[in-house]
Amino acid sequence: MERKFYVIFFSVFIWIAGVSKTNAAIQQQETETAETGDIILKPSPQTKNAIFKSNQEVLYRLQVINNTHDNKSGRISYLVTTDEGKKVAADTMHVAVHGQSSKELTIKVPPKPMGFYRINFMVNTADYDDTVRKVFGVSPENITSQLHRPADFDEFWKQSRVELEKVVPKYRVLEHPELSTSEKKVYSVEMYSYGNLLIRGWLVVPKDGKKFPVHYRVPGYVVSLKPNMDNDDFIAFDLNVRGNGNSKDVVNVGTDNYCLVNIENKEKYIYRGVYMDCIRGLDFLCSHANLGIDTSKIFVEGGSQGGALALITAALDNRVKVLTMQVPLYADIHDDMNVSASYDKQVFPFKIFRKYNSMHPGFTWDKFFQTFDYYDPQNFAQLVKCPVLMGIGLLDQFCPPRCSMALFNHISSTNKEFVCAPNSSHEVNFNYFMFQNMWLREKFRIP
Amino acid sequence: MKQTATATLCLLIFIVFAFPVKTYAGFPIGKYRDIVVPSFSYYSQTDRYDINGNIVKGQPGARFSSYSTSLFVGYGITRRLDFIASVPFLYQVNAFGKGNSIINQGLGDLVAGLSYNLINFNYKRFLSVQVSGVVPLYSTNNGVSPLGLGDYGSEIKLMYCGSMPGKGYFNTELAYRRYFDTQGPDQFSFLVTYGYPVTKHNQISVDLLLFRSFSDNKAFNSNVFAERDYAFFKPQINFGHQFSRRFSLFIGGFYVPYGINTGVGYGGSLVAVFKL
Repeated sequence: MERKFYVIFFSVFIWIAGVSKTNAAIQQQETETAETGDIILKPSPQTKNAIFKSNQEVLYRLQVINNTHDNKSGRISYLVTTDEGKKVAADTMHVAVHGQSSKELTIKVPPKPMGFYRINFMVNTADYDDTVRKVFGVSPENITSQLHRPADFDEFWKQSRVELEKVVPKYRVLEHPELSTSEKKVYSVEMYSYGNLLIRGWLVVPKDGKKFPVHYRVPGYVVSLKPNMDNDDFIAFDLNVRGNGNSKDVVNVGTDNYCLVNIENKEKYIYRGVYMDCIRGLDFLCSHANLGIDTSKIFVEGGSQGGALALITAALDNRVKVLTMQVPLYADIHDDMNVSASYDKQVFPFKIFRKYNSMHPGFTWDKFFQTFDYYDPQNFAQLVKCPVLMGIGLLDQFCPPRCSMALFNHISSTNKEFVCAPNSSHEVNFNYFMFQNMWLREKFRIP
Repeated sequence: MKQTATATLCLLIFIVFAFPVKTYAGFPIGKYRDIVVPSFSYYSQTDRYDINGNIVKGQPGARFSSYSTSLFVGYGITRRLDFIASVPFLYQVNAFGKGNSIINQGLGDLVAGLSYNLINFNYKRFLSVQVSGVVPLYSTNNGVSPLGLGDYGSEIKLMYCGSMPGKGYFNTELAYRRYFDTQGPDQFSFLVTYGYPVTKHNQISVDLLLFRSFSDNKAFNSNVFAERDYAFFKPQINFGHQFSRRFSLFIGGFYVPYGINTGVGYGGSLVAVFKL
């Protein structure tokens, strides 16, 4: 009998081992991306998020995989540069790897001052060259930046709110049975915003409850938000600000021109209306508690341009109780310009701004900043008092990590956290969203 | 003598069965959040397994039945650290046949401790350790009580749980409990749970529990605490329904198909889970 008992015990143990193995396989699948080439370099920072302390040696494990059947020998190098492209560390070593095998090297970079650093790993053999680009951060919570906040900044936005309030919203909420499901009702929402311009959004209300916190999402750059059907614990409100998604009745310009509309006039710059659209969205939520909206639990979220809009919404209006943002666009626009100047190839947004600048000789950078300083998210940061979660991708060139962290560090709220996705560019990873989900439940005490 | 022994075995097995282990599992509760789990359990037996695992028929009319309510509470102190505690109230009927029976009732063993999440695997799977103490909440007569072993004890438990590929979840718990007595016992248990959502609000789950209690004293004894060496395998099937985000109800039934020095038990449980 005892033998039978242990047979059962052993069987269950085998089952558990199987589960663990599956788990390991899934983890590996999630972290690995398809890589091809004769020789593959796989650098892994010592810290999971590639963030180090300023007095800490920066360590990487570098796996060198020889995919060929031939023995390979050559040089492995690394080069560390600052965000401005200045070389601060480099080394080269000889390596020989047998065919179909791998070798692991330890890369040690001397401690660096706070900031973000690009680190390139290079392999050079007689017949093969490759470079893998990574970024690591050093004490980013200490990064500081200069604020270029106009003296009348607060007055400017106060006046904008006054003008918004003069516009009668004329809310229109229309149920869409064809989009609704057995579990959720979908509504289209219309309202008039700043400049008496019509904007639209989508409201998705779960049916299995009477009152829900709200997930208020604002859009990325000229992105069309659709009804968000993935949120079971929140009412999902997705607002298409002017010129985005189904709010293109008046402003309907492409991605190359959107951020340039009236850029030479701070009073009429497109983002003045856009920022006020976000506030109008809040007005809508707070005036429709009858739809099950818990107006005391509104969290605003966005990525890229949406990240900037989310922060500005939370800064200008304390009806927002929680802010989450990913890769916030336009943060510390002055420094963004400096960092982007070091890129081999220009990317958004300065690709557009530089092009405009080159085609409009009278439009100096001083004039650009005379407008944009009213819109730089960093200048709103000190107004944010609610809990904040920010996610950044360390390989992001659109929103350089240094600029995002400068913005983050200016946020007044002490209840704030950031997450780095070391292998992501202008996005965060799945792990971030899993954490965000847990974080939100914590902030709103959602079971 | 035999009747007393049966009662002893019933008690020992019931102590293990009384706690709705599936309701807490190794999932972190979450910072600032609470979980409250009242439960009701029923356990019954007429026959028992002897030291060789053979079934020994009980006396005609003899039956041991236990009804218990238990309250489990958990509080998320931090994202990783939880406080947990459970208190049972026991009501036992030990029928000897011919209309004779003994009824015992009262609080059982308080179990309280801390659970710490060691590793989370992308917030999908969690490896946690739990350390708790066992405190008898009843008085003893010369160290003997029908409501428990009457000894203080401690437990360490390793828990690994999370979502399965596709649908469903799993929970595994490996526990070691030691009672502070010269004869122990030392108890090892291994629990595996697999749950599968059949609809959005309904789930079925299966628990497989292996339990082994070791003691230097292997002799069969009429003294209720002299019988400390036993083992069993207990499968249980449960059905759970989520009434709201904060309230779920589980109903389950179990049977003991294999055992050593323990009862051929069966029973069920009703477990309410409140997430606050």
